[in-house]
Amino acid sequence: MRLNEGILSGHWMKLVLVLGIFLLLAYLVTPFRVADYIIFCIFVLGFDLLYGHMGKLSFGHMLYLGTGAYFGLFLGNLIGHNPLSILLFGFLSAFLLGLLVGSIAVRTSEAAFALINLAFNQVGYFLVLVPLNPWTRGDDGLPVPILNVGPIDLNVPVHRFFFFLVFLLLVLYVLSRLIDSPFGLLMHAIRDNELRVNFLGYDALRYQWVNFAISAGIAGLAGAMFGLNYGYVTPSFMDPHRNVEVVFASLIGGSGNLLGAVLGGIVYMLISNFIADIIVRWELFLGVILLILVFRFPRGIWGFVSRFSQGRNRT
Amino acid sequence: MIEVFFYGLTVGGILYLVSIGLSLTFGIMKIVNFSHALVYALGPYILVSYALKGGESYILGSLLGVLFVIPIGYVVERFVIRRLYGVGIDLAIIATYATLLIGVDVIKFIWGATPIPVSDPVGSYLMLFHSRLPLYRVTVVLLAIAVHFFVLFFFRKTMVGRIVVAALEDEDGVRSLGISVGKYFSIVFVLGCCLAALGGVLYAPITAVHPYMGLSILLLSFAVVMVGGMGNLAGTFYASLFMGILMSVAGRIWGPVADTIPFIVMALVIAFRRRKV
Repeated sequence: MRLNEGILSGHWMKLVLVLGIFLLLAYLVTPFRVADYIIFCIFVLGFDLLYGHMGKLSFGHMLYLGTGAYFGLFLGNLIGHNPLSILLFGFLSAFLLGLLVGSIAVRTSEAAFALINLAFNQVGYFLVLVPLNPWTRGDDGLPVPILNVGPIDLNVPVHRFFFFLVFLLLVLYVLSRLIDSPFGLLMHAIRDNELRVNFLGYDALRYQWVNFAISAGIAGLAGAMFGLNYGYVTPSFMDPHRNVEVVFASLIGGSGNLLGAVLGGIVYMLISNFIADIIVRWELFLGVILLILVFRFPRGIWGFVSRFSQGRNRT
Repeated sequence: MIEVFFYGLTVGGILYLVSIGLSLTFGIMKIVNFSHALVYALGPYILVSYALKGGESYILGSLLGVLFVIPIGYVVERFVIRRLYGVGIDLAIIATYATLLIGVDVIKFIWGATPIPVSDPVGSYLMLFHSRLPLYRVTVVLLAIAVHFFVLFFFRKTMVGRIVVAALEDEDGVRSLGISVGKYFSIVFVLGCCLAALGGVLYAPITAVHPYMGLSILLLSFAVVMVGGMGNLAGTFYASLFMGILMSVAGRIWGPVADTIPFIVMALVIAFRRRKV
């Protein structure tokens, strides 16, 4: 039983498609750059779990990205410098913080939800920048030790690319299963009408809370991966002003769809990487694109594609 | 200590000017309007270019800055905000942020990205209880209070204001009386833009003029509006003065915390408020 859009709804089909897209991208743009895209796509996937699938727009998801990056590094360093332990602790720390913040945040909705997350993000950014300065070294940032995972040498761009790609496919598979599960259906039901979900006897708040934490955890994983990819962690990983990036990517691709999220991540990265080289005023260009998207294609590229492929208007 | 309070009042006054428009947009349309930061930055830029053209009078330059945002505000309202009726808050945030991106890039194109300093137009001091208060800041506070009374008058006594207040309470009710709420709202929106530009012009001599100057004060204004209550003007007034003083006092005790404390207050208010927004 599947309620997703017609084509490419099988779990494996998605993985194969995404694998193909990224191999093609790596061939066209070099694996060194595409490693960045992969991680950003994971971040968008995590964000979209909250926004697209549950209908709650957070404006403070950078908090979890930064938490994952910092705590992954700190705790990972305690147990050797294994990259896998950095990733694991990145996920766990952001997940726990998500549980903590989420217990307050999910009680609000709409504008209040967006802004209370922004508030927490601002507080986290401040904590990292000033009171925790002795540990985080503020704007100077921290170096991330990059070691091998078995035969994979993370200092080689091609190895790094495949290492991250495996994680993207893993996240994609888990999320794909999650969204088709009763839990995922409940998320969609909450997005469509929270009140009715409560009437059916479910405690909607509790499900939202868990989903918030999962979404935060995935953002933390992405943060730890960014740290591994760049070889350093700075407070800019948590900068509240950068929250719009992930919101934009999610909208460009089409919210509420896994492939849409991946597509949005890629397109946003391509725009911000390459348009800046061609057009000096790329922010203006991005602004115009976003306005066109909001008013003409509010369901994003994926929404447009899937509507086109089905040949009829489904809203 | 009087100085600290007074500096807080200055910041609070500016925050109030910026928050009025936000609060009304919030209250009427349930929209988080990021493009407010654009008009806030445009006002000072007009002032700067007026000064660069050899204009002497600060007051005239400020007036030009405030008047210049009227057409800008109207265009934004007509082509972006008005079309966001009924769409989700997410799309509204993205659309207004996109407008801000476009506007900021145009500012960078015209005036460049480097910050431009603006000198204190008054320059003298007022002695009060043995503390030296810059006369300019006194003017800012007085002006903010004057604007507050003007706004109160506007919403209580004039027809436009009363229609908007009624629409805040019950929009469908006002609509069914045959009044097109949108038209009155666009007047109030442009007024809010002018006040934001005034806030920007007044704050310019205290900081510097740069393309992103609106963004940080906008985030603070969101905090003010959430604490004061959406669409509640008196609440906004007191919340902004409170936030300003809080920032100033906190900044005196421990400098770096000043920019963060409003968000802590906001999180507490949202978390412990009974009414669900």
